[in-house]
Amino acid sequence: MAAGLESLKALVVEDNTHMRSLLRALLNALGIKDICEAIHGQAAMEALRDRKIDLVLTDLAMSPMDGLELTRHMRNDQNSPNPFVPIIMITGHTERYRVEAARDAGVTEFLAKPITAHNLFARITEILERPRAFVRCDGYFGPDRRRHEVDNYGGPWRRAEDLQDVDAR
Amino acid sequence: MPKIRKNAGGAQIITPDGYPQMMSKPATARALLALRSAETAAKAQVAMEAAIPPMRAAILRYVDEMEAAGRDLKKLFAIAHEIRGFAETAGMITTGRIAEILCRYMDDMERVDKPLDTTIVALHASAIARAARAEEDDVRMGEKVAAELAALVARRLAEAH
Repeated sequence: MAAGLESLKALVVEDNTHMRSLLRALLNALGIKDICEAIHGQAAMEALRDRKIDLVLTDLAMSPMDGLELTRHMRNDQNSPNPFVPIIMITGHTERYRVEAARDAGVTEFLAKPITAHNLFARITEILERPRAFVRCDGYFGPDRRRHEVDNYGGPWRRAEDLQDVDAR
Repeated sequence: MPKIRKNAGGAQIITPDGYPQMMSKPATARALLALRSAETAAKAQVAMEAAIPPMRAAILRYVDEMEAAGRDLKKLFAIAHEIRGFAETAGMITTGRIAEILCRYMDDMERVDKPLDTTIVALHASAIARAARAEEDDVRMGEKVAAELAALVARRLAEAH
């Protein structure tokens, strides 16, 4: 069956050779064969200059450029070849503040280690099935960070701080 | 709905129709079928299983490095982070969980700018080493038992014929 996935070009950014191999093998299982590997964000940026990439899987903690900085570059650089590219951040750092930092950098999906095929495929499915709107505002460009619309909400204020702003006026 | 609009807060919203998607809609439908197929799941399972032996060997090398790191806390954290990253994927569940606890402890203490209790770190490092080697021994034992049983069955089958 022609899956449609064979045509995709993926970039795997991970400093651990075993994790890179595993991610490559799992993408291969999906039929994705055109996979570029990089061991840190800087190498990934160079790879992105040379080729069109449809999907990025990146680790968070890497040196000299980590996954957050890489994501910000991909989203915000004027020379970024595709600022809308889906980015899945895969990391063992699952502390809330790190997840929020990844979200605020502009990642599309967050995947906690240990990796399972099921979880990785679920993230790719989510990207394909429910592509998110992108938001450009002061200090942020990336996928809409709100996952859910509130049906009966009509106002522009969405956060507690916004309401404090209203109270102060 | 327009592909690009502004919300009340002034943010520009670009709907999925307003930017290039990974693939066309027909190709997406085919891809979703593939993502959910038993064939893909079976291939992924093979890939996961093939990854386990080199990962287990790598974990044991990390354990050796961790023991050699002594009181070098930065190095210990880096190694513990690597171990927690894929020990569970390699089937070394206990090892991964202890590494996770150690990483969280070290990370949290750094965030609140408090000194690490080196005894706690050493206890975790020691527990990671023991768990990793025990889990490896369990696998070896399991493989040995399986091999011996297979040999026994083969002998009995040969006798029966």
